[in-house]
Amino acid sequence: MITDQQIFLATATVMVLLGISSMVYSRNLVKTVMSFQVVVFGANLALFSSGLTTSSNLISDSLVLFSIVVGASVEAVGLAIVVTVHRKYGTLNPMEIRRLRH
Amino acid sequence: MPSEFALLSSMILVATAAGGLFAKRMSVSLIFLFYSSVTLGIIFTLYGSVLVGLLHIITFAGAISVMLLTSMLMIGESNLDIGVRKLEGLVVGAVAALGAAASYIVFARLPSSGTQEALQPFSLLQFIWQFRPWDLLILIMIFASSMIAVANLFSREP
Repeated sequence: MITDQQIFLATATVMVLLGISSMVYSRNLVKTVMSFQVVVFGANLALFSSGLTTSSNLISDSLVLFSIVVGASVEAVGLAIVVTVHRKYGTLNPMEIRRLRH
Repeated sequence: MPSEFALLSSMILVATAAGGLFAKRMSVSLIFLFYSSVTLGIIFTLYGSVLVGLLHIITFAGAISVMLLTSMLMIGESNLDIGVRKLEGLVVGAVAALGAAASYIVFARLPSSGTQEALQPFSLLQFIWQFRPWDLLILIMIFASSMIAVANLFSREP
């Protein structure tokens, strides 16, 4: 019998893998930030589902709250860096930015 | 909660996330990620964590989506069809339906006004103070430092 926790853990694994693969193959920095958001979603779902077996899931709730705030902060800084990079180099392609740096 | 709901919501979550990552246009990606955030928030809410679900929707479907939209407009790479009436109607209808569903779910799970829980409005956040008070301080420090970093990055001239 498959439980809800197993379904959510499998979903979280799929989302983290999707996000990481998209982050690796992305040629646009905004898409990279979006991929990071999907990875954070997967991590949040994994943390949340880890507390589903116990009667009180307060610890997992507080860990998810921690993860939400940290993920949002990292994403805000990442977007600001993306805008600054676009102002400086005029492109969002990481390969082209690397070429323009030298 | 039946397992069919977990399976269905997980499928919606993965589909919207994959749609957001593999869509060619940024505006379509943004809309998919918005729905992904709302779906995950509804999962949290339905499985008993109302506070976490609402915070997730407010943070990711609200603040982060607006930040992504602003960044895309500043960069100038978005092809938003704001003027198209059909897309406007579709987005407004979907948002209204999702908002109504989320409001119904949240208010159906909240205790009625005559119960003991309703007399203690801070009991929702009490567990953070009981279990992880240092985490809250660290969170405030992380959030404040990230906002300072964002302000610093935007204040620099190219």
